[in-house]
Amino acid sequence: MDRRNNLFKFNLSMLNLPKSQKLRSFGVYLAGALYAIGFWSMIDAAIYSKSINASNVHVSIVDWIPFICSTLGMIIVNSIEKSNLFNDNQNSFLSPNSNAWAARVILFLGFSLLAGGLAGSFMVFIVKFLMKDIKFPTLGMGVSNIICNGCIMFSCIILWLSQNIEDEYSYSLAL
Amino acid sequence: MNPLNKIIFLSAFLATGFLLILLSGALFNNWTTLWIIFIYLIAPLPNLIASSIENSRDDFLTFSNDHGNNPTSIQEFCRFITGVIVISGIGLPTVLFRCKIIEFGSMLMSIIGGLIVYVDIIIFIWFFSEEEEENDDFNF
Repeated sequence: MDRRNNLFKFNLSMLNLPKSQKLRSFGVYLAGALYAIGFWSMIDAAIYSKSINASNVHVSIVDWIPFICSTLGMIIVNSIEKSNLFNDNQNSFLSPNSNAWAARVILFLGFSLLAGGLAGSFMVFIVKFLMKDIKFPTLGMGVSNIICNGCIMFSCIILWLSQNIEDEYSYSLAL
Repeated sequence: MNPLNKIIFLSAFLATGFLLILLSGALFNNWTTLWIIFIYLIAPLPNLIASSIENSRDDFLTFSNDHGNNPTSIQEFCRFITGVIVISGIGLPTVLFRCKIIEFGSMLMSIIGGLIVYVDIIIFIWFFSEEEEENDDFNF
């Protein structure tokens, strides 16, 4: 009986993701589409605020900060080479200049920027719109801010998952 | 189907798309929707650029340019950009309609016309790239 050295009974390798090249490219296209939905939702709020907004609440730089944080986080998370992360520490004497810790720190920074973007959009929605009892046509600007950051976060998740799909029939010959 | 028939059908299809976009501007006397033509014309460009970069490069020591059937990061980035641009072509008329700059009919006609133009360009590239080589996946 093989001895398992997992911490939990269920681990991620039990979860069989479907593996194919088409699914991978479809996931990348889907991530781009979700990012565009988020971006146009924010643009919609800005144009609405300038053109037919009847109230005196306008979209300012404060509403754009969560979007900028999410986008920066997404760029950071998805531009890291993933093979850096799974280096075992047992070989640390053999390869002393392994940069796994730097990759982990930068990845942590990226994920906290993403989560900070989503939390910031909720904060703008609550502080700027809900606390002042603003009714719905104007409240839509806050809602579209939340939609924007949620879509960017989903886009990042889908891009991350689809980059981890490996083709079944391809053998990695990299040393 | 010989190439001449393909070209004639595709050009008729393309003309329908342009007609819809131009009508969406002309019927409501509001020419803002012409930007959709520009968006859908640049939509196939990232994948074309990525595939030309990948084909012009051969790897050191292997002299082949299939990376074990895995797409490189340039190709994936260009696919992401393609997804962004295609949804932007739908998003721009929707945003213009929600801000009451264009009418509802204008939005509908420009979205359908833009999608027709984009699908037409994709089918054109697909038809004429499968004659040169066996291209099994639908590379758009």
